[in-house]
Amino acid sequence: MEYDFAQCFEKLSGVAHKVDSEKAAAEKIATICQEQDAKCIALAGLTESLVSQIEASCSGMTILKEPYASNELPGAIDKADLGITGIAFAMAQSGTMVEVTTNDANRLVSSLPRTHIGILQAEDIVDKYHDGSQRMREVTAQHDSNLVITFISGPSRTGDIELILSLGVHGPASCHAVIIDNQN
Amino acid sequence: MPNERYSNLYAKINDALSDSKKSDMLLACMKRGRDTRKVALELLPGGVDFRDDVRKSKERCIENHDTLKKQFIENVEKRGVTVFEAKTGPEVIKYCLDIAQKRGAKNIAKSKSLTTEEIEFNKPIIDAGIDVVETDLGELIIQLVNEKPFHLVFPSVHKMAPEVAKIFSKATGGKVEDDIPSIMKVVRKYLRPIFLNAEIGITGANIGIAETGGICIETNEGNARLVSSIGNCHICVVGMEKIVESIEDAMLMVLAHPVSASGQLPTTYVTWMHGRSPLGEGEGPPRESHIVILDNGRTEMRDDPEPVMKESLYCIRCGACTNICPTFGILGGHKFGYLYPGPMGIGWTAGVHGLKEAADFAQFCISCGLCKDICPAKIDMPMIIAEVKHRDAQKNGYPKVNKVMMGADKAAKLGSATVPFSNIAINNKVLRKVMEKTVGLSADRKLPPFAGTTFMQHFRKRTSKVTDPNREVAFFVDVFADYNDPALGLAAVDALEDLGCKVIVPPQEVSGYPYIAYGDMDNARKTAASNVEKLVPYVRKGIDVVAIEPTASSSLVECYPVLLKQSEDARLLADKTFELFEYLIRIEDETGKTPSGKLAEMFVGKKFGFHCACHQRPLGSGKGAMEWLRRRGAEVQLIETGTCCGMGGTFGLKAGPLGHKLSSRIGEKLFTMFKEAAVDAIVTESSVCSIQLAEGTGLPVYHPLKLLVMGGK
Repeated sequence: MEYDFAQCFEKLSGVAHKVDSEKAAAEKIATICQEQDAKCIALAGLTESLVSQIEASCSGMTILKEPYASNELPGAIDKADLGITGIAFAMAQSGTMVEVTTNDANRLVSSLPRTHIGILQAEDIVDKYHDGSQRMREVTAQHDSNLVITFISGPSRTGDIELILSLGVHGPASCHAVIIDNQN
Repeated sequence: MPNERYSNLYAKINDALSDSKKSDMLLACMKRGRDTRKVALELLPGGVDFRDDVRKSKERCIENHDTLKKQFIENVEKRGVTVFEAKTGPEVIKYCLDIAQKRGAKNIAKSKSLTTEEIEFNKPIIDAGIDVVETDLGELIIQLVNEKPFHLVFPSVHKMAPEVAKIFSKATGGKVEDDIPSIMKVVRKYLRPIFLNAEIGITGANIGIAETGGICIETNEGNARLVSSIGNCHICVVGMEKIVESIEDAMLMVLAHPVSASGQLPTTYVTWMHGRSPLGEGEGPPRESHIVILDNGRTEMRDDPEPVMKESLYCIRCGACTNICPTFGILGGHKFGYLYPGPMGIGWTAGVHGLKEAADFAQFCISCGLCKDICPAKIDMPMIIAEVKHRDAQKNGYPKVNKVMMGADKAAKLGSATVPFSNIAINNKVLRKVMEKTVGLSADRKLPPFAGTTFMQHFRKRTSKVTDPNREVAFFVDVFADYNDPALGLAAVDALEDLGCKVIVPPQEVSGYPYIAYGDMDNARKTAASNVEKLVPYVRKGIDVVAIEPTASSSLVECYPVLLKQSEDARLLADKTFELFEYLIRIEDETGKTPSGKLAEMFVGKKFGFHCACHQRPLGSGKGAMEWLRRRGAEVQLIETGTCCGMGGTFGLKAGPLGHKLSSRIGEKLFTMFKEAAVDAIVTESSVCSIQLAEGTGLPVYHPLKLLVMGGK
């Protein structure tokens, strides 16, 4: 690989963490939650096993998870201090996590809370930005009805006042990528 | 000619010149845009080559638009989204209003959409009693004070933090501190309920993808994510030109847009929406999604009899052209724009709002051509703007001063024929004042003297020094070297002969660029056709054309093929026309000849600052001249702001605000840079830039050839 995802993601004010198992990912998440003083966290698009691991590692916190009841949205997710979502794949060159969802509740989990953590597998990182096209094509072909794919390259940013970079005015102020690499 | 238009233009310029704070902020914003773009391009494999890909993709997608739109609509509908094709803005507004009323919606959240700006969407909706809030911070700020975007990408860049704090103090009813972090905290709190309570979310779309029926929405703030997910109804308003064929086309645009706008690859968030997703599980209100495809003059733009006019449809709204436009930097989008600002705004305004609205600010374009050079889709904005000026002049005529400038070659010819009287005249203050009053030529510009014997007359009497030529070169002279400085033209001939070139000067016209600059397309085409006809027989014999004036090379290479609808002859001449120094360096390298001529004694050990004329940027960017001088021992460095010196050909020669005054203000930053670089003199190949630089810096300005003593002399 010519590009290092973690490095490119961090250039965009993101924070990358490499771990070797789902368990380690859950522990990393717990650490981030403590650092952020999170009392309530929301989960979406994660494997069942990872959800259980997070429930174990973040036991003191209120944990919101799928299914989210329609009639409680968007307020329920807005209460979360931190949102954790599964990432389908990533493009190293541009430091981009790609989130694939068929329910907009999942999109809220990565956009309403102050902190967003994306969880991705190391093998799902493609090298160049344009290498992502093939994955985009596959994902789109698998869904002939509703589908939202989101590129996430760092936290929410604006430069609209005096061109000074400000993070988290609309969406997350901090954005983490936890990369699970089982091979190491 | 509507005099009212010009008094308005003058008032706008005078107003901008009296408030330098706004333009200083704008200039900083533009510079940052250019600088970050440059950095991003260095990281991008292939650098600026992505422009070729974007161009090809856009050409193909606009060419096949009808098929692609049909495919797009089919695929969108397959995913359960309702499509509405709107001919005009009011149709869009009515459609959205109907939806809102049917749903009993009172709160609409919007993310940034230039297409809805184009049709002035918000006001009629608000008038109907529905709250519409812009959630992009820049758009929100200007919405709160009821202004239009000042800059395409940074709409509120002219508002400093204390002013923004006041705006939010008023909006929230509380005291907002002046510092940016405090303001941002307030903004987050202010926007949150707007997002959460939105019943309808309205977004634009950067791209529609025919292949998948998806749309892409790019933001850095992530506001479009919230706007497109929370409200149970989502409406996307998209200009029909945004439809591309494939995922690969879309991936390219998603990259090209932020690279050119803010030096990112890609924006922080890109939302690829297909169909309408549910929000959560279980019983909830019904969710729906609409895509409104807007025409509003776009079909006519595509079918315009002048092919160049459809190029506006290639625009991806990155704002790169506004980041480099020299007059825009002083004036800003409120003055240099109607609803669409800047260079691209002229073609778009003509297409969607009307010729008059476009022509009202098209005169701010000084035809430097930098917009085309930076555009990710290589849109020929200078030619589109020239056509707008031309169409306007068909109705309203040309202002007298523009006619004078378009006839500058004839004036130079007359001036040369009437030496010494003409030179006395141009140096006589009283006469110059009279000329300013009568023809609009600025009395305060020091003009180069006329030569009594023209280059052509000298050349005819001259015998070639080359006995055994390795090639023949056709020399293109243009105005300045012919009527003002024949010695310069002769020095160029000497330099070519030193390398074994037999120089011929075929019959030729002037380059005719002022016709383009002031929008006389009939004469521009006539001149182009005549030059092509006269020069192409030489080219066909294998003779290269070499021009000494950057604007002349650029006219032959860049403009003539467009003016002559890509005729084979025009293309051929363009391919075989070269800038003097690029050519000299090439021959030097090919023949392995040692550089002839040396730095004149008085220049040895001096430090030179090089100024690259705008028109040579798409050609050699002055690299040839600098290399040529360095090979002869000169210490020369490029000094540039990244935009124009302000002269804009003959623009800066005109008297008053729309000329000398604006021209000088544009040049200020560059003048300072030259002074701070502590160079002994300035070197430039452009005859007009040299007038501007000499006046602005007080430094001596030379043509590269003037620093040398040629071999044997």
